[in-house]
Amino acid sequence: MSPRPNPELVVDGYPKKRPRWIELATSADHKDVGQILICGALGFLFIAAVELVLMRLQLLVPENTFLSPVGFNRMLSLYGATSIFFFALPLTLGLFYYVAPLQIGARGTALPRLGQIGAALWVAGATILYAGFLFTPSEAGVNPLAPLTELAFLSNNGVDAWAASTGLATLGFVLLAVNLLATLRMMRAPGLAWRRMPIFAWAATVSSWLLIVIGPVLLAALTMLLIDRNYDGIFFADGSGGSPLLWQHLSWIFFTGTYMLLLIFAFGAIAEILSTFARKPLFNRTVTMASLAVIAVIGTLAWMQNMITAPIGIGWTYFAMLMSLALVVPFGLVIFNLIATIAGGTLRMRAPVLFAVGAIFAISIGLAAELEQSLVGAGWHLHNTTDATAATHFALVGGAVLGGFAALYYWFPKMTGRTMGELMARFSFWTIVIGLILVFVPLFLAGADEGQVVDAYKYFSGTGVTAYNVIATIGVFILFAGLLLTILNAIFSRTNGAPAGHDPWGGDTLEWFALSPPEPHNFDVLPDVRSPHPLRDIREAIGHRTRRADQAAARESQPVA
Amino acid sequence: MTPHSPGADQIDTLLWIGFVAAVILVVAVNAALFYAVRRFRSERGAAPRQLLSGRKLQFRVGAVLTIFAALLFILGVVFTDKAREAPSTGEAGLASAKTEPLGIKATGQQWLWRYDYPNGAFSYYKLVVPVDTAVELELLSTDVVHTWNVNDLAPKADAVPGKSHKIVFSTEDEGVYEGDSSTLSGQAYAAMRTAVEVVSPEEYENFVKTQQSEIEAAQERVVGLIENGEVP
Repeated sequence: MSPRPNPELVVDGYPKKRPRWIELATSADHKDVGQILICGALGFLFIAAVELVLMRLQLLVPENTFLSPVGFNRMLSLYGATSIFFFALPLTLGLFYYVAPLQIGARGTALPRLGQIGAALWVAGATILYAGFLFTPSEAGVNPLAPLTELAFLSNNGVDAWAASTGLATLGFVLLAVNLLATLRMMRAPGLAWRRMPIFAWAATVSSWLLIVIGPVLLAALTMLLIDRNYDGIFFADGSGGSPLLWQHLSWIFFTGTYMLLLIFAFGAIAEILSTFARKPLFNRTVTMASLAVIAVIGTLAWMQNMITAPIGIGWTYFAMLMSLALVVPFGLVIFNLIATIAGGTLRMRAPVLFAVGAIFAISIGLAAELEQSLVGAGWHLHNTTDATAATHFALVGGAVLGGFAALYYWFPKMTGRTMGELMARFSFWTIVIGLILVFVPLFLAGADEGQVVDAYKYFSGTGVTAYNVIATIGVFILFAGLLLTILNAIFSRTNGAPAGHDPWGGDTLEWFALSPPEPHNFDVLPDVRSPHPLRDIREAIGHRTRRADQAAARESQPVA
Repeated sequence: MTPHSPGADQIDTLLWIGFVAAVILVVAVNAALFYAVRRFRSERGAAPRQLLSGRKLQFRVGAVLTIFAALLFILGVVFTDKAREAPSTGEAGLASAKTEPLGIKATGQQWLWRYDYPNGAFSYYKLVVPVDTAVELELLSTDVVHTWNVNDLAPKADAVPGKSHKIVFSTEDEGVYEGDSSTLSGQAYAAMRTAVEVVSPEEYENFVKTQQSEIEAAQERVVGLIENGEVP
């Protein structure tokens, strides 16, 4: 055998060190892209909260003139787009994108540039939405129903900007989802079968599938809308072959699917957190995994629940009711298994657990209220009242804010190498929960008892809703303070948090095997995966060996009688 | 909401059923959750039980949830069907509506409601209907989607341009019932309110007659003005 040649020298110096922001902006690494999405999402959470505060201030007293009707509608449209497309979805996708490849032991992603393009499109969408202030923002509402969005009724370019911005963001999400799915399918560590998949990575799989199905539906609808507005299309105009109801079907498929996606994300994160902190494996893994997939399918099929007052035929509304009520089973099983995971365990009440438990609390209220609305007759009364607003907010603030924050507190040490402040987390948690209750419980009552309508820029005195609205407006400031506390906590802890080490919580899944923050290539070596909790297996093996070595040492050191 | 029609009564019942179901779920979930969180702390010092699954338990929970959902579905269909049953006109009601319900068109436009009565009369904002009479309201829209909502009397329903949407309801007590529109329809959406005034059949007949003759008189006057050249 000939002697091995000396390694050839391929560089004559270290690559030039570029500023961090250039690295971040040009990197296709899933961790960098994920961080851009997460940081951006937290920024937009702040903006969405400011918009919510402004709208609530307008609704403080009857017939208030703090915002003009058009100003209120613009604020409403911005709030809707910001909270869904620029806070909730990027936060969930950012966390999936950062954590899921680590959880499956991948050294990168399958199509890194695709994900990078996705994030860039999302940034472009956000820029267009807020550049709208330079001309005119959209004033057509959260889900702008055709034909209000047609040129004849809103002739300024606000709706075009809205459509372009949400369209670019959605396209970005679809690209990110394609990459995630390819990664999760192709790049799992040896031995990591689907059934051993960490539950959060499974939630990422289901969510990516869901986005790949529902994303193009919205993209198609937005394309039709832009053709209608700019090239004399008639897709959503009545008569001559167009139909306003077509927009409702297409857009509700996307928004209902998104609703389910946010809850699937939250349950994935909560399951991970509870099993780690209770030091117990997830109860009934297989059923929980199956339930998340079932929620994605059935939940999206219930889209016509948003159209029960539309002229679509009673049979379709019964179908929507059937799908909505069928959701009781998978949601119930998931929640049951989460509680059963705590039972018998040894729960350490740290910030992620606090937020996770709060998320289950809020989601349970939101979903139960949705259940009441899904009964068609009851829905005729509750649809488009503030009761519906409150139900959606309980479920989605529960999923995206409390669930999202739980995930953030849990994986922040992995991303930065530092833990977030515990005391500030506790303050933030209780403020958010109290704020949430104060804002949305009065709106439940105002909607269910007095039928206060949704999206309206004013209400009238003598309709019995003034007190409810005053309480809600006070509550929104508390909610705002709570959100701000966690955002500030994240900013300060990035540089000043307590150093965390690679595994601060005693996690069971592979991401805790990497350094904090992980190297660009994630892992030098990987353990063999023989179960859903490889790190627990390693700890147990080490424990066994240490015990045996101790026993051997003890035997040897025993005095011979 | 205080229901004032047989249909609204059914809706109210269903609301209560839904509310009770929602409360049961919220209480069950959160009671179990908070018990588990308080009981199974690390401070208790025991080793965690490594329980992986309980297949029988899971089947039982699934079965209970399925029965719960199925029961709600049945109740939902039954009461919704009752709420949309075509009502009949009673003894005290309008005589001409005994065989088939009184047909009125409600047209939404940015930002008010127009009501067209069978005899050609029309009114804006306020709908006048006779008591104890079945009414079939045909919802139409001339521009964007509006939702007609007078929840003490009738189910909420959308007026979609190019589609006709019919709802039926009947009236029990005389009085004025406030209503509004509940789909964002542009700038003055919040001010786009409506009311239904339920009156005796005689007053109703009088109202539509006066309304009709006044409209005709006004139209004649306008035509006269144009013919005399007083209006360009």
